[in-house]
Amino acid sequence: MTMAESLPAQNAGERSFGRAAEGDIQRLSFTGSGSEYFGIWIVNILLTIITLGIYSAWAKVRRNRYFYGNTILLGRGFEYHASGGQILIGRLIVFAYLVLYNIMLTFVPLVGIGLGVLMLFFVPWLVARGLRFSARVTSYRNVRFDFVGGAGGAFLAFIIGPVLAALTLGILAPLASRWSYRYVGNNLRYGQKPFSTDPPLGRLYRTWVAPAAVLVLGMLIGGFFVFLGVALVNAVAEGAELSSQALQGFTGLLLVLGYLLLFAIFGLAALIYRAGVRNVAWSATSFDGRHRLLSDLSRLRYTWIAVSNLIVTLVTLGLMRPWAAVRMARYVNEHTGVRFEGDVGELLSQIAQEGSAVGAEFMDIEGFDFGF
Amino acid sequence: MASDGTTIASGEWHPPGSSRSVPASLVERAGHLVVDGESGGELAGGNLHSIEISSRVGRIPRRVTFPDGSLFETADNDAVDRFLTGKGRASEGAIHRLERFHPRLIAFVAAAILLGALIYRSALPLLVEVAIAVTPPAVPQIMSASALETMDRTLLDKSKLDEAKRNRIVEGFRRVASQSARGEAGYTLHFRGGGALGPNAFALPDGTLILTDELVELAGEDTEMILGVLAHEIGHVAHKHSLRQIYRAAGITALLMLVAGDIGSGAEDMLVQGGGLLALSYSRSAEAEADRHSVELMMKAGFDPAAIARFFELLETKLDDKGGTSIFSTHPSTPERRKAILDWIGHERK
Repeated sequence: MTMAESLPAQNAGERSFGRAAEGDIQRLSFTGSGSEYFGIWIVNILLTIITLGIYSAWAKVRRNRYFYGNTILLGRGFEYHASGGQILIGRLIVFAYLVLYNIMLTFVPLVGIGLGVLMLFFVPWLVARGLRFSARVTSYRNVRFDFVGGAGGAFLAFIIGPVLAALTLGILAPLASRWSYRYVGNNLRYGQKPFSTDPPLGRLYRTWVAPAAVLVLGMLIGGFFVFLGVALVNAVAEGAELSSQALQGFTGLLLVLGYLLLFAIFGLAALIYRAGVRNVAWSATSFDGRHRLLSDLSRLRYTWIAVSNLIVTLVTLGLMRPWAAVRMARYVNEHTGVRFEGDVGELLSQIAQEGSAVGAEFMDIEGFDFGF
Repeated sequence: MASDGTTIASGEWHPPGSSRSVPASLVERAGHLVVDGESGGELAGGNLHSIEISSRVGRIPRRVTFPDGSLFETADNDAVDRFLTGKGRASEGAIHRLERFHPRLIAFVAAAILLGALIYRSALPLLVEVAIAVTPPAVPQIMSASALETMDRTLLDKSKLDEAKRNRIVEGFRRVASQSARGEAGYTLHFRGGGALGPNAFALPDGTLILTDELVELAGEDTEMILGVLAHEIGHVAHKHSLRQIYRAAGITALLMLVAGDIGSGAEDMLVQGGGLLALSYSRSAEAEADRHSVELMMKAGFDPAAIARFFELLETKLDDKGGTSIFSTHPSTPERRKAILDWIGHERK
């Protein structure tokens, strides 16, 4: 357990040329297990039901403590510090607002739309606060993270970006991704030291090609089958042998199938895109201007894990979800790393806590949920 | 140096707010909890009550935070548990003991499924009834007034029906409404041009009924048929279906958000979609209930109770030819409903 000794120290003093100057790539690992998480998971669910939902805030704390605590970098885990009370208050506020919004939207649509617009203006602020909360309740080696982004940046990254991406049918999605990763990456702090990121647009577009092709191809193939189905219905209707009732049923089935297909194609493209963008963005991120982050997920493997996780979870009525969650965390962690420059042991013994980050945390509420 | 006192666990110690760590051990000495460095010497300490020991989650390291802000971390969870148990603080580990992998977890799975089903089957309908009971009558009134105003602005047009036709319908409607539990004053009928809604009739929760010209045209000379439809809408108001459906949808969403916990984002999406289907199946039973209400009211008012069944027949022949199924898609299939209505008439006449 003696951290200071186990750190690779052989690169000290060799900072000028060659490979040595790059330092070692230190990968994350995940030490949790499916069976261990299963207990935490089912107790979380049971106590949440028994307490009529109130325990869910504490359930989240235990879940996050488990996943953060088992995310290991250089022999030490991350820590999650939020308290159940903080999360409960944040949830109650958001929940009350959503209930009000839905009731209003149904009965007094104008007021409901007003609340929706109001929310649109509040969302950036809430996102910024939520990110700050998430950062401040996360620590590594006794030093907390911090987030200094404001509402303006969040508005660009999380409102303008997605709207622009949607309006252009995803053509500007890489731009939106760049904004959001820059907003998060450039405002994140560990100790007093900043992270910085600037994912190049060219590389983002290169990683965008594959999911875009999947989407277009999927739509074409799906469209073809729906067309085939419609033609079939029409042909049958011409023959008029079937009752209109059966015809209606068939059309309904076709609609449901088409909807499921759309859901699947979009989900697939989104997964491929997410993994690719993560690789580009993380690999373009550095800590303290010198230590580079790295992400090398295989997009195919990542998508396969996500899809098979979903299927296994559904087939087992949720019972395999703990296994699925651990499986994904392990894969993602093992393909994430940091390329430290210089003596890691020396570096990690020098980082000190910024005073403000801890005290203010207690006044924060969670609001929106963001994990790193 | 650290000879006196009992060593609890070994681990690492961080000075306050620093990432620097040194190997150290946690020692109980003279009623205090202290951290001794490897080369001896107390690094931090305090009495047990001023020290925060994190609760156990799986095998992640235990954190012992001292009053000066320094931190001792150890992987030896069992040792810390033994120490706490010795201090009579075993209850702090209760949740972790429940969570350990053990055959008992099977019982937990069964209990979770059972309780979830119980909430859905019993608690949810109960909560909906309570919510309806505590909703003051002013609420549906305000909601309905502004809903009508909004629809007038966006969807509906002025009615173009001639006076005579309108009077015939209003007269019949009064007769039907006077037989209802809320009486004639409980309902007001509005005529509107349907616009995009086409042939339609609907009720707002305060007893405001809206009938579109297109439906009147569809019915042609059969005014009784229209009255049957209006009696059906009165049924929705009397059974408070719209309020009930809103509370129910809100309840299901809340249930999914609060109780389901970590099920993964993909599975969560699917459940929310499934929730929509559940709400749809509920609206089918509401339609059947309103159909029966129509039969009873029409009978009491001295009209033909099968009028609404005629309306469905008409819908089937007229709308199906155009392939139009969209307007009434939340309703049960029409032949089924017609049969149910005729059955109910037989039952009522007995």
